[in-house]
Amino acid sequence: MRDTATNLKRSQKAQTVIDRLGKKLNRQIVGSLAACVHCGMCTEVCHYVLTNPDDPTYAPAWKADRIRKIFKRHYDWTGRVLPWWVGAKSVFTDEELEELKDIAFGKCTNCRRCSVNCPMGVDFAVANRMMRGLLVSVGIMPEGVAVVSKDQWEIGNQMGVLKEEYLETLDWMSDELESELDDSAVRIPIDREDCDVVYSINPREVKYDPRTIADAAKVFYLAGESWTMPSEGWDMTNFGLFSGDDDLGGAVARRLYEKVVELRGKKLVISECGHGYRSTRCEGPNWAGMDVPFEMESSVITMLRYIHEGCIKVDKTRNDIPVTFHDSCNNARSCGLFDEPRELLSLVVTDFREMYPNRAENYCCTGGGGAMSMSEYTPRRLKSAKIKADQLAATGAKIVVTSCHNCVDGLTDLIRHYKLNMKVTQLVNLVANAAIVPVKVPPVIVPVEIEIPPVMPAIPPERLKGYKILVVDDEPDILTFFSAALEDNGAEVLTAADGDSAIELAGRVKPDLVTLDLSMPGTDGGKVFEALRLNPETADMRICIITGRPELRRLIYDRQVQPPEGFLDKPVNEDTLLLNVRKILNIN
Amino acid sequence: MSETLHFAEHRLQEMALVFMAVVYILRVRWLMKFKAGRDRQAPTGNSTLRRGILYSWFIIARPGAMESTRAKPFLYAQFVIFHLGVTAAILMSFIIPYASGLMSRPAATVIFQVFIGAAFIVAVMRIVRRAGNKYLRAISTPDDYFSLGLLAVWFLFAFLAASNQPQRGETFLLIYFYMTAFFLVYVPFSKISHYLYYPFTRFYFGRTMGHRGVYPMSARK
Repeated sequence: MRDTATNLKRSQKAQTVIDRLGKKLNRQIVGSLAACVHCGMCTEVCHYVLTNPDDPTYAPAWKADRIRKIFKRHYDWTGRVLPWWVGAKSVFTDEELEELKDIAFGKCTNCRRCSVNCPMGVDFAVANRMMRGLLVSVGIMPEGVAVVSKDQWEIGNQMGVLKEEYLETLDWMSDELESELDDSAVRIPIDREDCDVVYSINPREVKYDPRTIADAAKVFYLAGESWTMPSEGWDMTNFGLFSGDDDLGGAVARRLYEKVVELRGKKLVISECGHGYRSTRCEGPNWAGMDVPFEMESSVITMLRYIHEGCIKVDKTRNDIPVTFHDSCNNARSCGLFDEPRELLSLVVTDFREMYPNRAENYCCTGGGGAMSMSEYTPRRLKSAKIKADQLAATGAKIVVTSCHNCVDGLTDLIRHYKLNMKVTQLVNLVANAAIVPVKVPPVIVPVEIEIPPVMPAIPPERLKGYKILVVDDEPDILTFFSAALEDNGAEVLTAADGDSAIELAGRVKPDLVTLDLSMPGTDGGKVFEALRLNPETADMRICIITGRPELRRLIYDRQVQPPEGFLDKPVNEDTLLLNVRKILNIN
Repeated sequence: MSETLHFAEHRLQEMALVFMAVVYILRVRWLMKFKAGRDRQAPTGNSTLRRGILYSWFIIARPGAMESTRAKPFLYAQFVIFHLGVTAAILMSFIIPYASGLMSRPAATVIFQVFIGAAFIVAVMRIVRRAGNKYLRAISTPDDYFSLGLLAVWFLFAFLAASNQPQRGETFLLIYFYMTAFFLVYVPFSKISHYLYYPFTRFYFGRTMGHRGVYPMSARK
């Protein structure tokens, strides 16, 4: 089709973007698109600009101008009358849309730091999210965004966690808690009706960090809370926030709200996740177009209340390593959650060190806005993370605490990249560690002579003893890291640096588990996976895919063979690796 | 006073003002026809919409409230001087035709000239900054340069016209009033009309941020 003003040919996708832009405009967005005076005050508050000082295409105003130009050309009279004078410009080709994708997804994490620093009140992040949504609506998006969105639409959570896997993990965590606290009442209640609290989590907790679920359960148990977790509709994250897809945002939020209503829960408590909290507590009701009939709060506020009300007692000396706190952009800058985590920290740690700038002025972890799922932009992300790395290093802390799973991954990655001697944790872990478990009064019994079994340590040092594990990866560092972690736990480890050796070794040695990288030269991981599954001798072999390219998940799960037993995204830390290996091998 | 100057001070200004008002009304109507998004979420803590909106509207008078202005006091001072100069030059376009007695006092002339002269210097500095800074160059449109250049020239002639002595020559007064009229017609089409949007953008941003407990921003750092 042709543009009536210029008579230039326009692609179908470009025309659709222009038409849909008109439907997305509301007064706030129009104000933000019309009001920019190009004063440049937003420039030096952006972490991308600070780490790319020679490239003006990272400036927030420049990035926002890409959508502003289209808006002016088609929806603002100044741009329709004198386009060149006010910088209005239409979009014609799919290549131009690809360029917009690179800007909207690859050069901005929607952290909103520029928005709160704009004298005019221009909300750049909202404009950028709208641009993402328009591109997604015509199928132009990073592969990772497509995969995660598909999972959330079809499976109900953004990491493709199956119901059985979720329930199994809760069961596993219940077992661990039961053994730790020696009380069967500690088990995680599922789908219990009429509870005071319905607890929703991030699927990352099921996949990589189940300890946070157990820690939260421990806190609820100690507080004597009437609580439950839903068997379905439990994912409080919402990729609609990152992809700009309001339909997805509404559907995901509605799924969660309806489950709480179905269980007749009085309050929805959202585990520590910045974008989950923002999506569920703040944006969700707007996307879903419904007034939510129950209260919603962050688990940070819940835990703080438990301590204030004396429901749980804590001993802060158990957390005596210096910690700092990273404010998630979505929590702090978009939802005003910044004082409560500090108050809670002051109650459960002995040495808290403030990070500067902080609260609503904090810098993004650089993994926000869905950046962790867009591996094509990883080098750019890690370069921009220098600002955050300097901020972290300046605190002198050994642990960085954050109330966001996305930030946990983003910070973990940059800490490794910039070789900082720090670990990342969440408030729930610190609270659970500081929580004082009341001593049970033993019942009076008649002493009899019994044989006392040997006391088992909580985590046997050689839990993987007797297991053969084949580690397949073309990166020598990864091979060394995984091998050391697994061998330290007693496993017999074999390694293969390419696909052909992996197939040969697996067939010959028959390991109990194969950890398999996907991107390898020659026979890639996908082909190795398929070959192992199609060979009757190795078809039932347990396989855990570990990849730095999560967007390739679809290539694995779409194959007509039995899916892998595990799927981990790099970067993987030792704890996550071991937890998942134990889970796959059914070692409790 | 010549007929030409009288026309420029009165009829021309009135026509331009009416034109500007009509265009502004149309512009506001255009903006209002877009529906305003609704915030359905429950308020955070003790936050209120009103506090958020007021904080947002007056944030420009609190340079410490935003890092962008806090970290650049010199640029913030330029902003204040520039806008005070604009206010003085606009005020003068009403005082000369309708209350010329005020301008006959030398002190009044000096005060206007100080504000407008300082604004002229800032306008020149802003032109230099816009042309010299690679970030600003990358985001600037012809309208950005033209508006700034036009304002600088307008400040210059407002400064020269402030003494308001047509008997000693009308050239500066004529140029000042013709430029003022041109501005009134041009402004609604240019970025200079940003002040029309300011109450809206800051209202909605303040409403959301106030509702969510982000505004007013914590003073503790």
